Amino acid sequence: MSITAAFIIATFTTPEKIGANPQSMLWLLPLVAAIAIVYKATKLPEIKTAHFLKEAVILFGSIVVFMSIAALVLCTFAWLITE
Amino acid sequence: MTTPRSKENHTLFLLTVGLLAWLIPGAGHLLINQKKHAIIIFATIILTFCSGLYVGSIGVINSVGAKPWYVAQIMNSPMVAALGFLTKNGDYPVFGRPSEIGQIYTSIAGLLNLLCIVNAVYLAHLRKTETAGD
Repeated sequence: MSITAAFIIATFTTPEKIGANPQSMLWLLPLVAAIAIVYKATKLPEIKTAHFLKEAVILFGSIVVFMSIAALVLCTFAWLITE
Repeated sequence: MTTPRSKENHTLFLLTVGLLAWLIPGAGHLLINQKKHAIIIFATIILTFCSGLYVGSIGVINSVGAKPWYVAQIMNSPMVAALGFLTKNGDYPVFGRPSEIGQIYTSIAGLLNLLCIVNAVYLAHLRKTETAGD
């Protein structure tokens, strides 16, 4: 087995090192992008690059903004309860 | 006499679309001549699934200890079952945040593919209905 093949297999058999820190929440962004892209691919009857990208970006932004507001509200509640 | 046969063929076609869409993400849309949709769906779902495997390793596909996640993961493709078979003895342990992120990524990819399967079958059915209406 070549070194390249072994390296590729190894990357999928050992987990990455990701700490439980606030930065790890950024892993949310690629997932939201995937959801927005696939959802728009199923909804638009015809795909034209510029229009598709615009729609996907709007949905991506909407999800991120809504989740940020939800997180802010939950943080406020947690702060009010614990203080 | 021709109507029941046509209905049977239609059901068979819908089943083929659904099964192909499950086997290879995007293949259902390819079968109903939506090439661009198929390419986007295939690339996005495979990339999301592989990102999950990269972060958490193939250990995130756990058919024994994480059944609800496994149900969502297998929606990606029946080929995920082969990975589940590889990991069922617990040879690829994964814990903590990588496990969470890996499971979420692979499961969301599976659920997105489920959405695409339903969408492809619905569009295939709709086309037949529209053709009959014409």
